[in-house]
Amino acid sequence: MEELVHLHGIVKRFPGVIANDNVDFTLKRGEIHALLGENGAGKTTLMNILYGLYKPDSGEIYIEGRRVEIRSPKEAIKLGIGMVHQNFKLIPQHTVLENVILGLKDVGFIIDSKKIGEEIKKLAEQYNWKIDPHVFVWQLSAGEKQQVELLKILYRKAKILILDEPTSVLTPQECKYLFYALRMMVKEGRGVIFITHKLDEALAISDRVTVMRRGKVVATKNTWETDIKELASFMIGRPVLFNIEKNKTYSDEELVIVRNLKVFNDAGVLSLKNVNLTIRKNEIFGIIGVTGNGQQELAEVLAGLRRPVDGEIIIDGIKIVDPNPQKMIELGVAYIPPEPMKYGVAPNLSVIDNLFLKAYRYRPYSKKIFIDIKKMEKKAEEIVEKFNIVCPSPSIKVRSLSGGNIQRLILARELSELIGGVRSKLIIATYPTKGLDIAAAEFLNKSLIEYSKLGTSILYITEDIEEAMMVCDRIGVIHDGKIVGTFKPGEVSVEKIGLMMAGADASISS
Amino acid sequence: MIKYRLRPNVVVKIERRLHYPRKLSVLSTILSILIAFGVAGAALTILGADALIAYSQIIAVFITPSLLIETIKYAIPIGFAALGLNIAFRMNFWNIGAEGQIYLGMFASTGIVLLHVYYGMFPEYFVLPMMIVTSFIAGGAWCALPSFLKAKMKVNEILTTLMMNYIAIYFVDYLIYGPWRDPKGFGFPLSIPFPEYAKLTLIFGESTYLGSILFIAMATLVYCILKYTKLGFELKIVGESLDTARYAGTNLTKVITLGGFLSGGFAGLGGLTIVSGIIGRLRPRASAGYGYTAIIVTLLSTLNPWLIIPTSIFFGGLFVAGNTLQVTLNIPGATIEMLQALIFLFILFGELFKRYKITILTGGGKPEP
Repeated sequence: MEELVHLHGIVKRFPGVIANDNVDFTLKRGEIHALLGENGAGKTTLMNILYGLYKPDSGEIYIEGRRVEIRSPKEAIKLGIGMVHQNFKLIPQHTVLENVILGLKDVGFIIDSKKIGEEIKKLAEQYNWKIDPHVFVWQLSAGEKQQVELLKILYRKAKILILDEPTSVLTPQECKYLFYALRMMVKEGRGVIFITHKLDEALAISDRVTVMRRGKVVATKNTWETDIKELASFMIGRPVLFNIEKNKTYSDEELVIVRNLKVFNDAGVLSLKNVNLTIRKNEIFGIIGVTGNGQQELAEVLAGLRRPVDGEIIIDGIKIVDPNPQKMIELGVAYIPPEPMKYGVAPNLSVIDNLFLKAYRYRPYSKKIFIDIKKMEKKAEEIVEKFNIVCPSPSIKVRSLSGGNIQRLILARELSELIGGVRSKLIIATYPTKGLDIAAAEFLNKSLIEYSKLGTSILYITEDIEEAMMVCDRIGVIHDGKIVGTFKPGEVSVEKIGLMMAGADASISS
Repeated sequence: MIKYRLRPNVVVKIERRLHYPRKLSVLSTILSILIAFGVAGAALTILGADALIAYSQIIAVFITPSLLIETIKYAIPIGFAALGLNIAFRMNFWNIGAEGQIYLGMFASTGIVLLHVYYGMFPEYFVLPMMIVTSFIAGGAWCALPSFLKAKMKVNEILTTLMMNYIAIYFVDYLIYGPWRDPKGFGFPLSIPFPEYAKLTLIFGESTYLGSILFIAMATLVYCILKYTKLGFELKIVGESLDTARYAGTNLTKVITLGGFLSGGFAGLGGLTIVSGIIGRLRPRASAGYGYTAIIVTLLSTLNPWLIIPTSIFFGGLFVAGNTLQVTLNIPGATIEMLQALIFLFILFGELFKRYKITILTGGGKPEP
């Protein structure tokens, strides 16, 4: 088979790290090539080099056998390279058609939207996509937005498609559609580079797999010649356990009771329509669902960041009236927020400051109007050691830590019993392993399970079904602001869960 | 990362630096000041003045003892206002209103003097302490109002604090042209001269000395507030991100209002040092824009209270130099304001080069055959 892309000896250094260390990579015509690795392994850097966003320090790039120098995405597009970024780069207020032709020079001054619309429709139909080119992008689901991104690239006649973590926003069904479409695309003579850190996905979709670790290529294998265990050990450099032993004793005591909860979102729309759930002592209760179905609002209400419109929340026998964050913190509710950099940490402050983000105002770290820095420093060193937060010193800015270490820091803050030396009663964990590598995710999940054994209830919000099955004791599926089904892991098939997440079947419960 | 294309084969890449060394930061500040002086010199030459003489007179301000005392005298109100702004900027509260808060401080201190002189209120020894307390409260309240509005209703503080400057300035104008005018002042718009016990010359004869002691004490106080108190910790979090602070359960209304109060309070004390340190009475437009200069001083000091001391002395010196230049070289006093603005402008430019790495790529581009 002909080589579409050949990267040879690519080296890219950033201050303090070698992001790509002498990397070789080839993409053949007609193949889907999975680029597998943990976060920070150098996958995205390599693809940004291919897409002209970075200039390599050394190394050669060949496209269809010709040596090229790619200095900007514009040049990359000219060479037939297209990239779908993890966060969509679409303009929601514009139509599909307008997004597709945005930046194209040869459409002319007057846009023949009828003709172009037909072209786009035809293109979409090739892959069984039903997209109306004249609807606005904000009206589309995440899966459809991704299709628009792909259409954008295909319309520019790209031969080389780069997809960065494309499944992170999709339901299992939508993933299947995507995989089907990608298969069609390579049959037509294109090549697809599929960046992922999910092993099962790499195995399901690809023809070949290249595994990267710490900036180097560890192995390139034909997919049919390898298996999940081998890939995992390539990825993290040691064999991994896929099942976590729970060994739990279960309690019947209901610690958290939520009844008929209704909550507005930021736009003033009811996003929790009628939520009922109970979490027992010791229990990890999972919430799965497609992002944006009310998970965020549920977590925020329980953390006191959002006011309920109606309904009742009872934690450890205490009815919560007029919740605010301080009240909930003092009641023993810990909250691991999504996207830690957004508000889970203050990135420009030190590790110490971030560890004491909540506890600074309670004894023994504070007396009257003063804070006791010495005590904080001492305790911080202890915590950094215990939770294995890798940093040169606790007074370094959090911004300079890796994602895994930041998540560890948040976990440490929420689990360290800093406030009054009391264990949290409820931990709300929203997408806690998102963006973490396998080892870090394993550590986090194990910590949560250990903690739940001590009698804490955990609300575990995730979009990863496998993960929920592994970690949780009971799982609720959320769709359109309602819990549409509750079950124990293993009771319901993954396909059925997928349907529930999509809202197709709201009657399953056990 | 942003890219600009100039000619077909030239690409300018602007990459964000992950880290920048402290050396680079100091170097860029010094360089910015030098370039600003260079440009100002060129402007002076165009105006027909000798730039070298101007430079030597500016330098003289910092090395001649008598002028240095004068310089520090002017540095003190700037420094006080800057210390206040340091607190506000720490919590990302863009207080543009130090000027107005200074006027409120002047109003309060003069008010105390008048109450004492006209109505015989408080014993003599009690006047100066009362002036200190009330000027702090008056300036503080003037800033606490916009900060409370911001905390409660998200009212943009840049607008409110700026607008309140004009209210304060015209209010003081009114008092001086009206009820507070000195009856024995031949109709000039001036208050009565302050008695000795209401002036900062009280102890050492020259207001600079007592003022300096107060200045250092206040810088220490601000440093301690920021570092060792709950409020300091909260200001830091609020300044980083309101969402994070809310998540952490911080009482936002309390912290922002109190932070605003302290910020305005220090500016109010700055007002006191003008009327009872520099002028010895109240007159209209008694502050020559010290509150605005304080914004530059605070930002140049990178929100470090200790650095505010030398920086405000530098800018105080520019005010004094401006006065002498006006007389000796016969150039407009606004030249010094221009120099201030230039320094600030070039430091902002320097910031760009500090934060971003700019590379220019040439050649290549098309696929080789």
